[in-house]
Amino acid sequence: MTAPRFDELIHAPTRLAIVSLLAASEWADFAFIRDNVGLSDSALSKQLTTLEDAGYVEIRKSFVGKRPRTSAALTAAGRAAFDGHVAALQEIVSRAGASVLPG
Amino acid sequence: MEGSGEMNDNVRADEAAQALAGIRDRQEQVINAAFVPTWFWWVLGALVVGLAAAVESGNRLVIGVGTALFVAGVLASLAWALRRAMRVQVRNQLLGWRGGLLIAGFALLTVGGSLGVAFGLNAADVPHSATLGNLFGAILLVAGGPWLMRTLRRIMLDNRSGVTG
Repeated sequence: MTAPRFDELIHAPTRLAIVSLLAASEWADFAFIRDNVGLSDSALSKQLTTLEDAGYVEIRKSFVGKRPRTSAALTAAGRAAFDGHVAALQEIVSRAGASVLPG
Repeated sequence: MEGSGEMNDNVRADEAAQALAGIRDRQEQVINAAFVPTWFWWVLGALVVGLAAAVESGNRLVIGVGTALFVAGVLASLAWALRRAMRVQVRNQLLGWRGGLLIAGFALLTVGGSLGVAFGLNAADVPHSATLGNLFGAILLVAGGPWLMRTLRRIMLDNRSGVTG
């Protein structure tokens, strides 16, 4: 059971979308995140840098043949922060008496 | 920055519920990206049946063309699947031991079933036993592949941490 811990950094809608994608993955390609979240390259880079600076995300750069590839993964701290944030959101909802369980 | 705060009184319950729904949707996007579409199973099935039929024809030209088509088809399918797999890797924990067992069981059933039918028919002197054995395997792929994808998807959705309550 994760302790509720509201995280303002993660809660920003764009960052929440990015972290949610990463929480379900071992790693995700830059283009996959960009296309699924609907951001420009520069906007995604900025958000990933913010998350990286917070220690929540690890950015990996590699080459496939001659093509550079950038991928991102949640760190252990990022995963713990995400789990705590989800627990905090659930607590807010449950305090209000609404159900948060998926249908 | 309130990264270390426990709760936030500025967030309303409906906003929190909306955020949780958004999280579920994003995680579902990752899970959906992991699966191959139905046509993939039809292509695999057609390739193995086609190769077996070509080999059993005994005609060198047919065997050559059939083998070339099989290799080209397998390489193209693998390249397509690999390109998809390089976009995102679903968290291993979502698959869990149930998912792993299911995949291993399906692979064993398909290969074992094909071989069993082929050898059984061959022992009974039924002509084209290899083709028929592979046809059985192809039916398993076409019928079982989409079922396997649906079941794995359900397992992964169930195994999502946090948002499933």
